[in-house]
Order: sequence, then structure tokens, then C-alpha cells
Amino acid sequence: MQNVKTYSQTNIEVGQFSQLPLRQKYAIADLLYVAYGLLIVALVLVSYILGMFDLLPHDPQQIHMDMLLAPPASNGYLLGTDFMGRDILSRLIMGIQAYFLPGLLAISIALTGGVVLGILAGYCDRKTETMITYFTNLVDSFPRLVLILLVIAAFKPDIYYIMVVMGITGVPAVATAIANKIRYLAHKNFIEAAVALGLRTRVIIFKHILWYNCRALLIIQATLGMGEAILLETSLSYLGFGVQEPMPSWGNMVQSGANYFLQGNFWPSTAPALAILFTILGFNLLGDGLNNILEDRRGR
Amino acid sequence: MSAAMTQPLLKIDNLRTYFYARSKQSFVRAVDGVSLEVGQRETVGVVGESGSGKSITAMSVMGLIGAGPGVIGGSIHYASHRVKKNLLEGLENFIDIETENGRVMKVRKNESGWQHASERLMSDLRGKEIAMIFQNPRASLNPYITVGEQITEAVRLHTACKSAKEARERALYWLEQVKMDSPRLRFNAYPSAMSGGMCQRVMIAMALSSEPSLLIADEPTTGLDATIQSKIIELLEELKQDTGISTLLISHDIGVISRLSDRVAVMYGGAVVEYGSAQSVLDINAAIKHPYTAALLASVPSEQKIHEKANLQTIEGDVLDTINVPPGCRFHARCNQVTPEIREKCASHHPELIEVAPGHQMRCWRFVS
Amino acid sequence: MSKTILEVKQLSKHFRRQRSVFSVFNRRSDTIPAVDKVSFYLRENETMGLVGESGCGKTTVGRTILRLTRPTSGNIIFDGRDITHLSDQELRPLRKDMQIIFQDLDAALNPKMRVQDILNEAISVYGRVSDAEAEVKLRMLLDQVNLKNSKLSSYPSELSGGEKRRVGIARVLAVGAKMIVADEPTSALDVSIQAQVVNLLRDLQKQLGLSYLFISHDLQVVELMSHKVAVMYLGRIVEMGLTERIAGSARHPYTFILWSALVEKQNHEAIQSVKMDRRAAWGVFDFERPASGCRFAPRCPVYERRGRPAECTDPANEPQLRDVGEGHQVACHFPLGS
Repeated sequence: MQNVKTYSQTNIEVGQFSQLPLRQKYAIADLLYVAYGLLIVALVLVSYILGMFDLLPHDPQQIHMDMLLAPPASNGYLLGTDFMGRDILSRLIMGIQAYFLPGLLAISIALTGGVVLGILAGYCDRKTETMITYFTNLVDSFPRLVLILLVIAAFKPDIYYIMVVMGITGVPAVATAIANKIRYLAHKNFIEAAVALGLRTRVIIFKHILWYNCRALLIIQATLGMGEAILLETSLSYLGFGVQEPMPSWGNMVQSGANYFLQGNFWPSTAPALAILFTILGFNLLGDGLNNILEDRRGR
Repeated sequence: MSAAMTQPLLKIDNLRTYFYARSKQSFVRAVDGVSLEVGQRETVGVVGESGSGKSITAMSVMGLIGAGPGVIGGSIHYASHRVKKNLLEGLENFIDIETENGRVMKVRKNESGWQHASERLMSDLRGKEIAMIFQNPRASLNPYITVGEQITEAVRLHTACKSAKEARERALYWLEQVKMDSPRLRFNAYPSAMSGGMCQRVMIAMALSSEPSLLIADEPTTGLDATIQSKIIELLEELKQDTGISTLLISHDIGVISRLSDRVAVMYGGAVVEYGSAQSVLDINAAIKHPYTAALLASVPSEQKIHEKANLQTIEGDVLDTINVPPGCRFHARCNQVTPEIREKCASHHPELIEVAPGHQMRCWRFVS
Repeated sequence: MSKTILEVKQLSKHFRRQRSVFSVFNRRSDTIPAVDKVSFYLRENETMGLVGESGCGKTTVGRTILRLTRPTSGNIIFDGRDITHLSDQELRPLRKDMQIIFQDLDAALNPKMRVQDILNEAISVYGRVSDAEAEVKLRMLLDQVNLKNSKLSSYPSELSGGEKRRVGIARVLAVGAKMIVADEPTSALDVSIQAQVVNLLRDLQKQLGLSYLFISHDLQVVELMSHKVAVMYLGRIVEMGLTERIAGSARHPYTFILWSALVEKQNHEAIQSVKMDRRAAWGVFDFERPASGCRFAPRCPVYERRGRPAECTDPANEPQLRDVGEGHQVACHFPLGS
């Protein structure tokens, strides 16, 4: 059970932390997470734009009766075709349309609402804080999925309505995080110092609190929120409540491919499932890596 | 008195304790070749500013360094009437050092082996033979256990007291010894109900309850109110008379050191720069003075300075950051007593600690003939 | 005769107490009087030291004067203008002249901002400044506080204690303060660095004619820096006067204990002469049980020695500050030397 550690120093002169190169400053794992996450985000963005302008390799709705269930890399269908002969790759790209904008809507609502409530709760007097806490606890205690199903039942299964609900139910998390952060910062004098200096309250809130100190928090909430939105949308589509056939969504692709799974045709179901997996993983890792990089690692 | 000089109780020889800053990929040379002695029934004060390595030296003696490479060299000889050993015996077998131009650049350490060996050496001494009290006493006490319980626990652990009743009696006795008011009442109190000064008294009681030969006090009065500080110092003075204990007192407060110490060691940048009797080291008018000690004494507002409302003498620059250690004398960059003859030597060679007068050691090129 | 820049009249700040489980057992008042009817004035180019042990309210006085907390009662008159009840809007332009250097080094600087960001922000708080002007002002500030240019791009966590203090001082100078509340400016610093900060503050005072409210528990530094000193105990000023008189011929027993607790003073005889009760000066004061009458009575050796006179604990007869010559004021029924 030998546990030998080696410590070595290469430079005689050691500079300050902030001037070190990137690789020395942060853990390699975090850098990899962020790199991967950014790659995924880039892919999603590019795919969204491609989908928006219809620059797809094939028409996602086009049925090719002669090429049913073709395996990947056959005849120009990079990822093969599904049970109706439709190109899977194009359908995957098109599927991003289903969650991209709605997801952005959800996180915008969550972040905006959360920031406003969080600042009010953290900055104002006890009474306001208590009221906001009650309110956020109330919203938090609603079971999200049930609420969504209610909305679907009451209105139509419109992904935008669903995302609004998700946004609203996401407000408490952000608000609490920000309010806690502010309460923590209130102990530290520099908010007081900013007041003493004569800075306007607006400046203090936006610059000192939000930009400098809550930046990381908000980015993480955004990335995690996006991941959740994707999961929500794909789950609902899988269950049949979201995007309906023949419009592609990763969720309903998994669903429709399920019938053919047991026959030995894994691919039509697996491809979208893997897409879901790697995309959500990308967002989560991005959030995680950014958190580590932005939050703690300043200075010694 | 026998013909042979009695062995010093504690003899630290060339102690080196390093840490490692991973973010900067470099060593933090916190204690870099410290040698000091604490004799029987004597109080040795260690003065220094932050970064001088004084606290780390104390922690190294107690074997409380867990981080980084830790203690990598030197010897600590402990010789009381009960135990005689080198606290770092055999530990060098677990450490492999590579140097470059005399500077340590690589250390390979067998962590588990080192830990086991160190524990075997220290476990029967810690708390029993050598006791330690820390700065910020409230943080060193368990907030969920009554004060009396904690002292009792120490008594049962370190003395031959068998029964719980006997241990409690001892604990109460020591609580009285440290001049706690209403000791019976305080026995059942929690640390949160007591002031800093009282908590420190509890710590002292805990430390002394096992009747150790050596007490290490790391900044015992820092952070306490001024009036309470003087009470704690008076207490330590009295206990010293009554029990004959030896103390290694560490503080950045020169006043505290001067009241309690027989001998004083001044530390800077991880090494002892001056070491001698309290009178000779702390006397601001002495002829033989290390430039750092002289500057340190001069920067404290004294009666005269206050009277004249003059500016204080400062030391240029900032305290040495033990990561970037210069090749020559560590104080060179801030020293105001460099003469042209020794400038070269000061900048390139680290001076040794040599005896400049009987019982007075100095680490400075000015005093090397 | 230099102008009075700050006048504080009967300033009080009471904090509402938080109820604890044990409050059932004692009948207590509902507020903690952290600062109780404090009055003093400060002139231009003058330093007033405010001393006392922890919990005496000196930091609260400093913060209340700058309206960082709302005073419960009393008046604060800064530069001839009563700022006690001004709204935040009205107060903001006045803040330019009254600033604070905080005690806690790490907390007062935004850890995510570089030094240059911090200073640039301070420079442009009170008016648009062109980039070139800001550059010049920045260099000048660094020069004034003796900070190296290379420190501009560092984060506060990379600075040493003394450097952080100096950034705090530079920030205060950047807005152009006339009066500075220095809250424990030398605490948590090494002795040699303390000397640097003290010298710096004195030089700045000479150069710029600043006024300081110097809050500290370090009596020697206060003695060195201040022209006059006020001693606080449990929220009230118990003695106030010129520094030499307070340090040399203190009249209030508490002041005497404070000064003789200075560890350096080996003057055992002086302590013996007042026959201090050994137990007199330990323990935290208990706001929960304010003594009626003189607040210092429970710890006062003179009270003991005089056989516990009734005046000292008479709630209707709290000792008020009385002039004992040359602006020296004492709040005590039996001041020393009388």
C-alpha cells in the first residue's frame, strides 16, 4: 500500500496566479468539460440554423419506400433511414427545432423572473423577503409534470405553453440561489463599500452583484435549464404529448422506432436516444465545468 | 549541578517544512532550516511576522502538518526526564529530495509510510509530554460539549486517572489553577457562553492537566481584548513559576514576548535570524543587532516616538512570500544596513547562524569577520 | 481656527434584539443600545481617536456617521449640513467628501475585480473622466499610496494585507474625500506594515488636510496619530480630551485600566496604587443586563474601593460628561485624582 507522491518545481521564479497560462490555472477535467460542452452548443446552434433555412442533406419528411430501415452510411444517408425510409440525420437536425426556441423561452423566463425576485428578496427588507420566500416555496411545491399535463389538457399540447410553465416553475431555483448569494455578499463589506463610495443602487446591483458575482450562477442555471428543457420536450414527445408525427422530434423518433427495436433494427431508436444523451450531457458538463472555472479558482 | 550541561528539553536542528502550491506549481518554503532550543524551565519566545514560519515550526514539532510534502528534513530532539527521543527519527527514509544549486526542486514522499512512522513517534508524546494551545481559543473547543467534559476527556486520555470521578476532580482542580471564576459553575458551561479570555483559560487548563514538560503556545493572546491579554499573560507567568514548565511561545506581539520570555528567537522568511537572551535581543539600544530585529523594534510606536509625534520607522517593501525565495540573504531586499563590502555576499549567499557573543546567535553577513 | 467639519450631537443607534430561547428567563428591554447619546466634533486637518474594547460601539459610530446605517436618534452635521435625515438620493453627492476605510480587508474589495477596475470605478463615480485623465489619476493614486504599478492587474486575493489596505486608501482618495473614518486600519497587519500604513495616513493628512476618525483598539497607534481621543464603553463616551491628557492623566477608571493594560508597560507600581481588583477587567460585558446607573460600576475598582456608593448604581443619576479643564471631559461620579 505504497502511496508515493512527487512534488516538483520547474521554475525558480513564480509569477502571480492571474498571469499563468490556462492549462496551469484550471483543472484539465474542467477544461475538457467546457470544451465538450461548447462543442455541443455549437452543433446545436448550427443545426438549428440549418434547420431554419432548410439546408438539410435530405428532406426529413421524404419517404423512400425503397430504402426502408437502411443502416448508417448507406448510399448518402449518413445515419441511415428509419422505418419509413426517411433520412435520420435530417430528422435529427430538424428535431432540434422542437426544443431550441422553446428551451430558450423557458430559461429566459426562469432567469428573468429569478433575477428580479432574487434581487428583491436579497436586497429589500425582511417583509419583502419573507413574502417572496413564501411565493417561491409555493411555486416550487407544484409538481412540474402534473402542471404540464394540466396545461396540455386545458389548452393544446403546444410546446411553447409547456415551456412557459417550465420557466415559471424554474424561477424559485434561480431566485433562491441569487437571494442566498446576495445575503452572503451582504456580510462582505464591498457592497457597503460601494454604497459608501456613492455608487448608484442600479450600478451596484447590475455591476457588482449580477455581473461580477452572479455571472457564474446564471450561466449554470441557463445551461442546466436548457438541459432540463430538452429532457422535458423529448419526454413529452416520447409520450405523445409534444410534437406529433410526421414532424420529427427526438422524443417521438425514439417512440416510433421502438416498435422496430425488438426486431433487431436498433438504429432508428438508438440514434435519437444517443443524440438526447450526448446533448444533455454536453449542456450539463458545460455548466459544471464553467462553474468550477468561474466560481472558485480565482487566486491562490 | 552536574558537571555536564543539562540537555535542553527541546532541540530543533535544521528543520525544513515545505508545502506545495499546486496552482503555482511551486514549493512554499515555510520553514527552511530552523534551529532552536528550549531549555528546562525556560520560556523561549519566537517573534516574527506573517510568513516567517513560526507557527509552522510549532506545528511541525507537534507533528500536526498534514498537507503538502510537510516536514522534509532536520531533527527534533526531545529530552524530558521521562522520554528521550528524536521526533523525526527514521522519517528521512520515506523522503527523497533532489536539489538544484542547493535549492530543493523535487521531493518524493512515501505518504502512508511517513504518516505511520510519525504517528508511532508522536502518539505517546502529544498532549502528554508536549501540549499546545492555539490562537482563537473558541475555535479550538468543541461547541457541543461542556467545558468541564472536555478537560475531563483530556485528563482521562493523558494521565493515569482511572475513574471518571477522579478525572472530574482533576479537571476541576485545573480549572481553579487557571484562575477561572466560579469554577464549579463554569465546569458545566458551554464554550459559547464564555468570553475569549475564559476559553483560553480552559485551553490552558486542558493543556496543563496532563502535566507536560513542554507547552507550545501559538499566539495565545492574539485576538483577545487588551485587558484580557494582560490577564492571560499574568496567568502564564504564574503557571511558569508554579509548575516549572518550559514554554515555546510564539507571537507577533513583541510586548507579549518581552514579558514572558527568557530567550528570544526572531524569525524571518522561514529561518531564525537572531537568537539570544530576551534582554540582548529586544533591547533597542544594543550594539549587536540584526537589521531586521532593529527595524522591527523601531517600527513599534514607543514612548519616545509618541512624544515626538514622529513618523515610525518602516521596513521597505513587503514581508517575504516564501514561494519566491531569493538566493542570498532573505532580508537583503529590505535591509537598510547593507554596506558596499558585503553587498555581493548578501545578494548571493545565504548566511549561517553563528555565535556573535556568548549565548547570542545571528544570521547576518555584517557580523562575520 | 480651523473649521468644524463634523459635529455629532446625541447620536444613538439601537439595534432590535433577536429573541432567543432563554429570553423567557430574563426581563429585558427590546433593543441593544449599541451607541447611546454620543456627541463630539471633528475639525479640519484633525484626527480624533475612538478607542474601546470590542463591543463598545466604536465601529457602529463610524458607520452611522456615514449613514451606512440609519441612526435611531440624534444629529449628524457634516460640513455645516444636517445629514441625519437626508434621503439616499440627496446623500449621494455628499458621500464624495466622507469616506471609510474598512477593517476587513478581504471583504471590502470585490474579489472578482482587478485593482485597476476598483480604482477606475472610484475615479469615475462622481463624474465622467476621459481615459487619459483616468490614466493620469491612477498613476498619481498609486504614487500617493506607494503601490507598485505591477499590482494594477492583480486581484485582491493576490495582494498582501498591507497592499489591500493601501488599495482601500487609494480608493477613498480617488473620490476626493475630506473626512475619512478609518476603522481599525492597523489591525490584522504585521507590525512593520502597520508602521507603513500609519506613516502613510499621517503624510496624507499633512498633504491633503484630511480629517480622520481613527477607530482602533491599538492604543499606542491611536496615541501617535490622534490629536484628541474619546474612550467608549458600552456605547457611551466615558472620557474625551486631548491625547496627552487622556494617555498621561486619565481620570476615568476604565481609561486608566485600558492604558495600563498595554502590555509593554511594566509599571506594576502604578497599577497597585489604584488597588485594582484582579477580577475587574475580564469577561465580556453583558448587554443583556445593563447596570442601572453607571454602566461601568460592575467592573469598576473605584466603586469597590469606595464601598459601593449608591450614586453609581442610581438609575436616575447616570454619570454625564463633565468638563474638568481644557476640553477634557469625564463621565464619572468619582473621577481619579479628585
